[in-house]
Amino acid sequence: MPNNSKYDVIVIGGGHNGLVNAAYLARAGKKVLVLERRHVLGGAAVTEEVFPGFKFSVCSYVVSLLRPEIIRDLDLPRHGLEILPLDGTFTPMPSGDYLWRVNDHGKTHREIARHSRVDAEAYDEFGKAMQAMCRFVKPILSMVPPDPATLNPRELMKLLFIGRRFQGLSSEDKYNQVQLMTMSAVDFLDQWFETDVLKATMSASGIIGTFLGVRSPGTAYVLLHHYMGEIDGAFRAWGFARGGTGAISNAIADAAREAGVEIRTQSPTGKIIVKNGKARGVILQNGDEIYADIVSSSVDPRHTFVNFIEPGNLASEFLEEVNRYKYRGSSGKVNLALNALPDFKCMPGLGNHLRGAISISPSVEYMEKAYDDAKYGNFSRRPYIDCVIPSLTDPSVAPPGKHVMSCFVQYAPYKLRPGLNWDSQKEAFGNNVIDTLAEHAPNIKNIILHKQVVTPLDLEREFGLTEGNIFQGELSLEQLFFLRPVPGWAQFRTPIKNLYMCGSATHPGGGIMGAPGRLAALEILKDSKGSHVKGAA
Amino acid sequence: MPEARDVVIIGGGHNGLVTAFYLAKAGFKPLVLERRSQPGGAAITDEFHPGFRCSTLAHAAGPIRPDIIRDMQLQRHGLKLITPDVGVAALSPDGRALILHNDARKSAEEISKFSAKDASRYPQFQQSLAKMGKVIGEVLAMPPPNIDDPSKGDLWGMLQTGRAVRKLGKKDMYRLLRWGPMAVADLAAEYFETELLRATIAARGIFGTFFGPWSAGTNLVLLIRAAGDSHPAGSAHFAAGGMGSVTEAMASAAKAAGAEIRSNVEVIEVRVKDGVAISVVLSTGEEIGTKAVVSNADPKRTLLKLVDPTHLSPDFVQKLQHYRMPGTVAKVNLALSALPNFTALQSTDNGNALSGRIHIGHEIDYLERAFDESKYGNFSRQPYLEIAIPSVSDPSLAPDGQHVMSIYMQYAPYKLKASDWESQRSALGETVVKTVTQYAPNLPELILSHQIITPQDLEETYGMTGGHIFHGELALDQFFTMRPLLDWGRYRTPIQNLYLCGSGTHPGAGLTGGSGANAAREVLKHLRR
Repeated sequence: MPNNSKYDVIVIGGGHNGLVNAAYLARAGKKVLVLERRHVLGGAAVTEEVFPGFKFSVCSYVVSLLRPEIIRDLDLPRHGLEILPLDGTFTPMPSGDYLWRVNDHGKTHREIARHSRVDAEAYDEFGKAMQAMCRFVKPILSMVPPDPATLNPRELMKLLFIGRRFQGLSSEDKYNQVQLMTMSAVDFLDQWFETDVLKATMSASGIIGTFLGVRSPGTAYVLLHHYMGEIDGAFRAWGFARGGTGAISNAIADAAREAGVEIRTQSPTGKIIVKNGKARGVILQNGDEIYADIVSSSVDPRHTFVNFIEPGNLASEFLEEVNRYKYRGSSGKVNLALNALPDFKCMPGLGNHLRGAISISPSVEYMEKAYDDAKYGNFSRRPYIDCVIPSLTDPSVAPPGKHVMSCFVQYAPYKLRPGLNWDSQKEAFGNNVIDTLAEHAPNIKNIILHKQVVTPLDLEREFGLTEGNIFQGELSLEQLFFLRPVPGWAQFRTPIKNLYMCGSATHPGGGIMGAPGRLAALEILKDSKGSHVKGAA
Repeated sequence: MPEARDVVIIGGGHNGLVTAFYLAKAGFKPLVLERRSQPGGAAITDEFHPGFRCSTLAHAAGPIRPDIIRDMQLQRHGLKLITPDVGVAALSPDGRALILHNDARKSAEEISKFSAKDASRYPQFQQSLAKMGKVIGEVLAMPPPNIDDPSKGDLWGMLQTGRAVRKLGKKDMYRLLRWGPMAVADLAAEYFETELLRATIAARGIFGTFFGPWSAGTNLVLLIRAAGDSHPAGSAHFAAGGMGSVTEAMASAAKAAGAEIRSNVEVIEVRVKDGVAISVVLSTGEEIGTKAVVSNADPKRTLLKLVDPTHLSPDFVQKLQHYRMPGTVAKVNLALSALPNFTALQSTDNGNALSGRIHIGHEIDYLERAFDESKYGNFSRQPYLEIAIPSVSDPSLAPDGQHVMSIYMQYAPYKLKASDWESQRSALGETVVKTVTQYAPNLPELILSHQIITPQDLEETYGMTGGHIFHGELALDQFFTMRPLLDWGRYRTPIQNLYLCGSGTHPGAGLTGGSGANAAREVLKHLRR
């Protein structure tokens, strides 16, 4: 049959994963088209000048998990990527005290010792143990999940590989690894530390993007997930991009274009064309039909399978599984344009504590109560907030003397209790965040020039994240690895031939990693190479 | 010191009695030492008010593993199991009741009063649960393999289980992998839309744990329970004469096989020499030498109290101290002058509907809120209640026309924030009575006497550290090869010749006898060497 495709691959979605996917495919010789619905690229890794002179990292605001191999392969620094260090986490406490951990090992040790000598010692041990865990888990991040239901020896070898690696761990590491996969962040940390504010702040990374509390089983895993970030080889180091998070996506887009990728913005997908069980291309919302041999979707399963594919093309069982995949967004964002810097009661004035992350996480009980509110359909009355003021280190994002402050907030449950909706609650939500900040930095209300509130509904409407889940689906044990997004379809392929998935809803999950985009590209290339070798049409 | 015994078993709880039986049957002469005046552990019947007998703690069996009932010939030793047709009556404050029968068709009929869709899904759900449960059951019946160095037997066992898992077929295999780590509320919501049904099923994943229905891993608890009984909300496994009759029959069987049981004997130390357990020391000072010690007490009590910690590595001690045993239930037993009038059961055959278990906790959120309170160190003011009125199907427990009501109250955290259990005892009792009264308004006037057992009582009187009725949290990281600790999931301890056989070992949950039977197998391997 004559092949009248204009493109080899259409990538749906110009988020960071879609762009990575496109870049890798183009570098392998494919003719690739990226279709982005919005006017700007990046998905949730985007910088927008929402108010003149102020460049907000609207959604994602820090980076750590971007795969080094991707940075290297796509030569991202040459394309404009520059990651600035985020030095430390500062936790103000209502008592007037604070906890301030920084990258400098010795300083942090002394600071923790100020709260508890025992914890200071334990902190070093903890770091080492986590590094060992990260070393164990890292290769799993870079692998296509095996299919445990198969008889294919290659797949079983993969399972065996993981099993062997596990067996090869020291007794101590095995113990830690099992615990990390199953326990709650707080229970896990309870075994190491006694200082409440330390546990609260550390456990916070166990709940990011989940609908779980710090005491919920399964959050220790998410803690590890966030620990695996590395910058220049240093584990657990977080940073932010010069120019805002969008600079990351722009660098990837630049590399993609250099490899020959065509990128179209303001081109929302309407439907994926499926004929005889095969993906043939895409129909845009405006009716334009574009053909390709392969369609690679970087958007989540709800969009891909429920919105973009005519029913009848997918088995009802598969759709049932897709509908079971859980999103349950729980985060919001408040981005502020500031006239001056916030002044914290417990550490007044300008200081390096403002250059790192500021974590409103004073106690474990505070964190757990924030979750309790969400369970019953309310945003947290006193939320967990993680703030970054990038303009202190990167003046390009704000006018001279002024600042931007990114505040990530949990919990903001997508499903509010009956009678409430996010559009009507948006203002109250934003004000509540500011009230909470004001308890620690009373001058905040006086210095706000502009405010942007991003609710889970905004994340869904504007950024295509179903139910506002920032990871395109919860990172919960029953939908990870070979169960992500759907059991039996965790290898980037779908029941539709030549239709692939390459976003955060696939392994290894969310965060600005690029790993799904890259792994999917490699699988696509494997499949197409196979067909060439066999000579099939 | 008198000549060494074969085996001394510390504690005559149901698991210890099961272990004693199997060791005796194999030709050894185990000596069971029970601290209280009669064996039984948490499976006992008590005349707490003249003429009124009640299962003091556990009021239903797991059920007991059928092979154990058979091997021990428990029926011949007096056990009369009662499994009423009604498994559970779930009550709603709006005056409705959902009655779940052992017969799936009858249950579906009852469910159709709430939702036709749910009624049609119920048999499917039960089938899937039975399938998953069967595979889990095979895992439960095997001793956890040695991960580091699996023996031939371990590999064979793993192969068999692997086979059983693969025989499930691709779809069900994935289902099993997915179901394990899930929160029970999510599973219930996947199948059913009726809140009352969801909550009643979810309860099975949280009973006796420090989790709420939204906690990940509670589904595993549900699956473990389903292994023994695939009815979605569980049946009622009673026994004539209360749970005490179960352990009485077990004691009788153990004795008939050659075991010796001594009561009112307290072991205060397991004496260790050069890393080997050589004897037990009693509170009287008497020392009994033995070739092996098997402890039915929980892992912490055994290894941190009965053993001098200098015999254990600091690493092991630290890890064991982190073994979580957060007690979460209390018990209230009532002697009643008549059967209470339950508003939700007016229109039905009142007697029959009350013959099984009674569930109070009508919504997932209700259960979750009850859990919330306990997280902050308070007992729930609107608790989840698991109730039985065993005198309905076993009139011998109370005088004619009168009754006993056995109530498990969840959540009652062992560690209270601003108080202690002694001063909260009556408040606890009042809360329980108040809650039941919402569903049976005439209850208060029927109460002749009450017995309140707090988590502190569970620890001090009944020997369960932390007041935990399962000798340790039923959490994903304290299950199977990791129960009580990774590397120590095979009933052995770092002390040679000292074993564990209680619920703090695999499989743990519920009155099934599984831990005792599995432990016996391991001990026999050693004794026969």
